[in-house]
Amino acid sequence: MTKPIKTTTRRGALKTLAGGAAGAATLPLWARYGQAQSAEPIRIGFQVHRTGIGAAYGRWYDRTTQAAVKLINEEGGINGRMVEIVAEDDGTDPKRGAEVVEKFATQHNCDVGYGTLFSHVVVGSAPRAGELKLPYFVVSEGHHVASGMLNRYTLQPGITDVKSQVQAMAPFITGNLGKKVTMVFPDYGFGYDHRDNLGPAIEASGGEVIAKIAIPPSETSFTKYFPKIPRETEVLYHVMVGPAVLTFVKELGEFFGPARPEIFGFIDSLEAVDIASPGLEFLDGTYMWEGMPRHAQEDQSEFDRFYRGKVGVDARGASVSDPTDVSTYAHMFGCWETLFVIKAGMEAADYRGPDDRAALIEAVEAMTEMEHSRQHPQGAKLFNGKTHQVFGPQFISRVEDGFLRKVHTTSIEDTLYPDEVDYTTQPF
Amino acid sequence: MPARFAIILMLALWPGLAHAHASEQGYVLLLPTDVYIAAGVASVALTVLLIALLPPGAAEALFRPATLWPRRRPALRHLTSCLSALFLGFLVWRGMTGPHDPMINPLPLFVWTVWWVALVAVQGLVGNLWGWINPVTGPAALIARLSGVRAPLRWPRRLGYWPAVALFLGFGGFLMADPAPTDPDRLSIVTGVYWCATLLGTLLFGPAFVVRAEMTTVIMRAYGRMAILGRARGCRALGVPGWQALAGPGVPLSLAVLMVVLLGTGSFDGINETFWWLVMLGLNPLEFPGRSVIIPQTLAGLVLVNLALITAFCACLWLGERLGGTRRPLAVAFRRFAPSILPIALGYHVAHYLTALLVDGQYVLKWLDDPLGRGANLLGLADTYVTTGFFNTQHTVRAIWLTQAGAVVAGHVVAILLAHALAMRDAADRRQAVLGQAPLAAFMVAYTFFGLWLLASPRGI
Repeated sequence: MTKPIKTTTRRGALKTLAGGAAGAATLPLWARYGQAQSAEPIRIGFQVHRTGIGAAYGRWYDRTTQAAVKLINEEGGINGRMVEIVAEDDGTDPKRGAEVVEKFATQHNCDVGYGTLFSHVVVGSAPRAGELKLPYFVVSEGHHVASGMLNRYTLQPGITDVKSQVQAMAPFITGNLGKKVTMVFPDYGFGYDHRDNLGPAIEASGGEVIAKIAIPPSETSFTKYFPKIPRETEVLYHVMVGPAVLTFVKELGEFFGPARPEIFGFIDSLEAVDIASPGLEFLDGTYMWEGMPRHAQEDQSEFDRFYRGKVGVDARGASVSDPTDVSTYAHMFGCWETLFVIKAGMEAADYRGPDDRAALIEAVEAMTEMEHSRQHPQGAKLFNGKTHQVFGPQFISRVEDGFLRKVHTTSIEDTLYPDEVDYTTQPF
Repeated sequence: MPARFAIILMLALWPGLAHAHASEQGYVLLLPTDVYIAAGVASVALTVLLIALLPPGAAEALFRPATLWPRRRPALRHLTSCLSALFLGFLVWRGMTGPHDPMINPLPLFVWTVWWVALVAVQGLVGNLWGWINPVTGPAALIARLSGVRAPLRWPRRLGYWPAVALFLGFGGFLMADPAPTDPDRLSIVTGVYWCATLLGTLLFGPAFVVRAEMTTVIMRAYGRMAILGRARGCRALGVPGWQALAGPGVPLSLAVLMVVLLGTGSFDGINETFWWLVMLGLNPLEFPGRSVIIPQTLAGLVLVNLALITAFCACLWLGERLGGTRRPLAVAFRRFAPSILPIALGYHVAHYLTALLVDGQYVLKWLDDPLGRGANLLGLADTYVTTGFFNTQHTVRAIWLTQAGAVVAGHVVAILLAHALAMRDAADRRQAVLGQAPLAAFMVAYTFFGLWLLASPRGI
């Protein structure tokens, strides 16, 4: 459960709210439900990538969102009101994204905006949300929230950012796989996030990045780049994305044969792809970052089991109605957790309507620890109210005969870095 | 061939895959598409060689239809049209008032998936379904009958089909360049205004307006020439795709241009998603910045590709007239051979939209399962999730790709046979026909390569 800071003095609204939330919680379930059905619903504007390059993610973000809202409503809604998702397609287009945010605020009477994944859409939409004073809960992994480039109305409380993910990998890599690291990454912003964040972290943990090989984004064959990998490389760190990823893996396997260095990658490359696919055999024995383990582990928590059941995902992370339909399991938990943060925030702020939006932001800013629970099935979290960014565990899995076996879970401390902004100093 | 088309028809399409996903495109890049492309191009080239050896009249005979049964007067057409108009009205109303999610709201599902993707294919492959469900003709007839007023104006014939050409290009721009063509709000306005304007035009000018200016009816009738079912000598008739183009009257220049524009627009709909095009625009193909950034480029590309195709088609015809010695005016040759482009355009349509139909078709079924969103479960699909799993296994991706390639190749084979049969009509002998047709045939072989290359190319949208 999400815990508001009890000691805060600068948020008077919270005090009254804590009482209100407690009062609501004491009502018998049937009474809350009855009230919920009669009241005006809480409207959550869901900015979904239905079309455009984000569509495959959008489908799973939608599925997770619908499952979470169904559960929230079954349990009495928020402050006794049902939750209604108002989904708008942003076409994975920043300009359209800003229009959609505006529609949420001005046409659909949404209480908050929510759910954006792709970073450029977040960056394109957040300023409009700030202007319209619409709380905007993004689920994008981008460092743009914590970097300070956005505004007080934009928060990322349900998914960790790429900066913390990358830096948390370094101790495991240097401690278990090797000290001499070569990076292969696409030659643009996404790749640079990894390049710029991994290097210092590897050095801080006693290793060294000996080569950085940037691959042009339009490349579809990679054999000419592999000879650039230094012979003394102990760990190959790759973050390739796009349609040519499977070709990359295949050609890498052909290049190295059995005598390969240790290989570490990010599941982003193979999100929604069955790891047991023909052609991916070369990945056997390699390591992957996962935001949440796709395959149910031996020590699977009851919360993970519960979450899978509600979203309709089996033990291999695929749809229960089609085992070939692999989900975006490493990311979509962010939707689930964000919705429960919104619920907790609204309950803490005794949210009644758009006039309470600032109180809602303050209530979320006041959050710190979130327990590993049904509401947070990925793991316990630590929210930083100043940077509007949540921090949580990261997972490293080893591919073993088509199974992603979790071999390491980082601590939250491994993922922390100094604050780069304090949004709470910005006026509403 | 019809069986092949029927199989294709049973499947469906979708373009958008996430940039961070390997998914379908990843598996396509692992397929030996260069071998497949070579085989496809060779099949079309072989067809060219075979027809050069066919006895005179063989191609014409191939396209001769079999008559089935006497054609009855279509008394119910106005009724079905009115029902179609009522359903369209319902869809527009839902577009304005229903869910904003384009995969839940029935208006975008029916306009894009059912009408544009599926119905155009059915019309082109099977028969003239549009004549029954055109939502304008019935209401216009009903109003005329109730009011007793006949169309007061005469449609200016000199306009030909040019309004339809312009409207179709506008439609192509909306489809490819607009940032949100599936937005229910926007689509309800576009659809509603277009329907009202068309109805008004029909009331003012009579049926001539529908068949000459109304873009949808014009393209549906054009594609209808490719269908296996049609009418001949007062009977229903069945023949190989393209037989109606051979049996029917010649086409005016404006309609001939529209036929080429159908292919040009369909081709650009594929080009504009490729890495190649995005790199040309100076964009990172792994980080597509959104449609709104490239609206002018997309519109310019649409126009340029159509102009380039018309120019290339004209050049082939001009050269063919000289090689064959027929020396007809270019416009005459253009009108004669433009219908042979239609099967290619139809093959592209099926191939390009197959993946979208496979995904979005499921959302249509989900809507039919529960049309009013009240948990009806009419088809028993309530517990079935929409899936894209078939993009995630190698054998299904191969089957989908080969089906798409089959549509492209089949379209070109029919086109070459049809062009040959058309050439034989005016030629003094077979040698003259074959020579005259050679540049166009070579163009079609090259276009087969282009079409298959498009299917195999990595896409960034």
